[in-house]
Amino acid sequence: MEQPNPTGLRFFSLGGGNEVGRSCHILQYKGKTIMLDAGVHPAYQGLASLPFYDEFDLSTVDILLISHFHLDHAASLPYVMQRTNFNGRVFMTHPTKAIYRWLLKDFVRVTSIGGSPNEKDDNLYTDEDLSESFDRIETIDYHSTMDVNGIKFTAFHAGHVLGAAMFQIELGSLRVLFTGDYSRELDRHLNSAEIPPLASDVLIVESTFGTATHEPRLSREKKLTQLIHSTVTKGGRVLMPVFALGRAQELMLILDEYWSHNEEELGNGQVPIYYASNLAKRSMSVFQTYVNMMNDSIRKKFRDSKTNPFIFKNISYLKNIDSFQDFGPSVMLAAPGMLQNGLSRDLLEKWCPEPKNMVLITGYSVEGSMAKYLMLEPENIPSVNNPEVNIPRRCQVEEISFAAHVDFQENIDFIEQIRASNIILVHGESNPMGRLKSALLSNFSSTKGTEDEVHVFNPRNCADVILEFKGVKVAKAVGT
Amino acid sequence: MSSVIFYRFRSQKDPSRILFDGTGLTVFDLKREIIFENKLGDGLDFQLKLFTPDTEEEYEDDAQVIPRSSSVIVRRSPAIKATNLNSRPKLGALAAVGNATRYVTGKPRVLQKKS
Ligand SMILES: [Zn+2]
Ligand SMILES: [Zn+2]
Repeated sequence: MEQPNPTGLRFFSLGGGNEVGRSCHILQYKGKTIMLDAGVHPAYQGLASLPFYDEFDLSTVDILLISHFHLDHAASLPYVMQRTNFNGRVFMTHPTKAIYRWLLKDFVRVTSIGGSPNEKDDNLYTDEDLSESFDRIETIDYHSTMDVNGIKFTAFHAGHVLGAAMFQIELGSLRVLFTGDYSRELDRHLNSAEIPPLASDVLIVESTFGTATHEPRLSREKKLTQLIHSTVTKGGRVLMPVFALGRAQELMLILDEYWSHNEEELGNGQVPIYYASNLAKRSMSVFQTYVNMMNDSIRKKFRDSKTNPFIFKNISYLKNIDSFQDFGPSVMLAAPGMLQNGLSRDLLEKWCPEPKNMVLITGYSVEGSMAKYLMLEPENIPSVNNPEVNIPRRCQVEEISFAAHVDFQENIDFIEQIRASNIILVHGESNPMGRLKSALLSNFSSTKGTEDEVHVFNPRNCADVILEFKGVKVAKAVGT
Repeated sequence: MSSVIFYRFRSQKDPSRILFDGTGLTVFDLKREIIFENKLGDGLDFQLKLFTPDTEEEYEDDAQVIPRSSSVIVRRSPAIKATNLNSRPKLGALAAVGNATRYVTGKPRVLQKKS
């Protein structure tokens, strides 16, 4: 089951196959092994959150490429590097590495709270594992190509979050593109994903939103600010669960600007906005450092005003909830983004019995998370510290997505431009992924039976996709 | 007096151990202990297999006793969902039990030996 296929390209997901979470894929071709991402599943904890690492001999991996710093793509990296027999080289972009460090420090800290001393440590790794492995992570610049024992790879902008990369991997005459999470929409601070100049034979592409269509960005922004404005006007509190770094900064750019434009009603601390995260201060300096990797408009803003666009006039930072004086209407951006535990969960439990309050979900919520459950508008939610206690839920629950994943039209436009004849769908729940597969097959139905026939795969975790190539032409394809 | 069985997840470098009283544990109980010890969850989305360290032969019978001081290799794999089975396992009748829930709920599988 595990011998590398001597002639074909083998693709194998250890995680992220027909699910969103624990992204981790293996590519094997002509004796070379490439691993893509090393995430955790946000709805699980400890070993249960890991990709199915037992299903592959990690000592055979030559290189591991990390697409971006989100936990579902990067958080099991210290585990892989310290606790398994992996000894390959690891690459990510500079900003990903910079943010990854603080993010995972926080991840270790947050997940170690609550365990009693005689219980087995739930942490996948320690602070020491994190810092020991950190120095062995190598960085790659956008648009530069690395060559490791004949495996060539190039990083391209993926949009999505600061530092996010797509990797085009060259194996002999074969080119494989891995999108990671990507966005084709220009937002307030990021570039949209690029089309690599050279076509790819195989495309490994995210399918988070399946065949769904996004509302245009401006109308989403308008909806967001209006919802928040009307809630605070009625004296309500707005809880926005966010992942500490990444999309939170985009939301803060939107809110800060809106507050400035509505100064008389909201500004000058009348309705405070808080960003509650241990990483608040750090994030500012990291985001400032990498302004040159963002889009033109924010670079211009930075140049013209000579101030850090990520220092917000109307937003205060909260280190913890003890220093928070909860007297009236406010807007609170708090981590974690799926309300599993920690600060955002504490605030949820405090505020959800009150009908005038609102929980506004802007990120992608995975199956099994509290955020996903909340969208069903349940009568009660369980208390995280005391599962026997049910807390009535009377607050409003709204969802407006700023998750920065492509929608169907953006995805299909991108896929067409890549011109790959083999498309492997990853990073999507089964149903949206299945719908995307059907839509792609019908889109490419005219290629059926021709030399350029387009094949679409949606493999489950640990199910092989084997692609046979003659030169660069597909001779045969098997798999699910 | 406490007894011990060492186990190592196949991808891990270092072994862990299960402490118990007695001369051995059944495969069923050992799997159950490993699942609880590592908080692997309700067993719906994974299977847990045990192997001997030398031959990598699987302990397939839940009732088999593993003597104390033994070492085993543990393999956590995706559950096989009955609805999307592509290849049938060796025993057709077992197709629907391709996950680890029984170790969590505590109902051992009774293997019916066919003569
Ligand atoms: Zn992401
Ligand atoms: Zn993701």
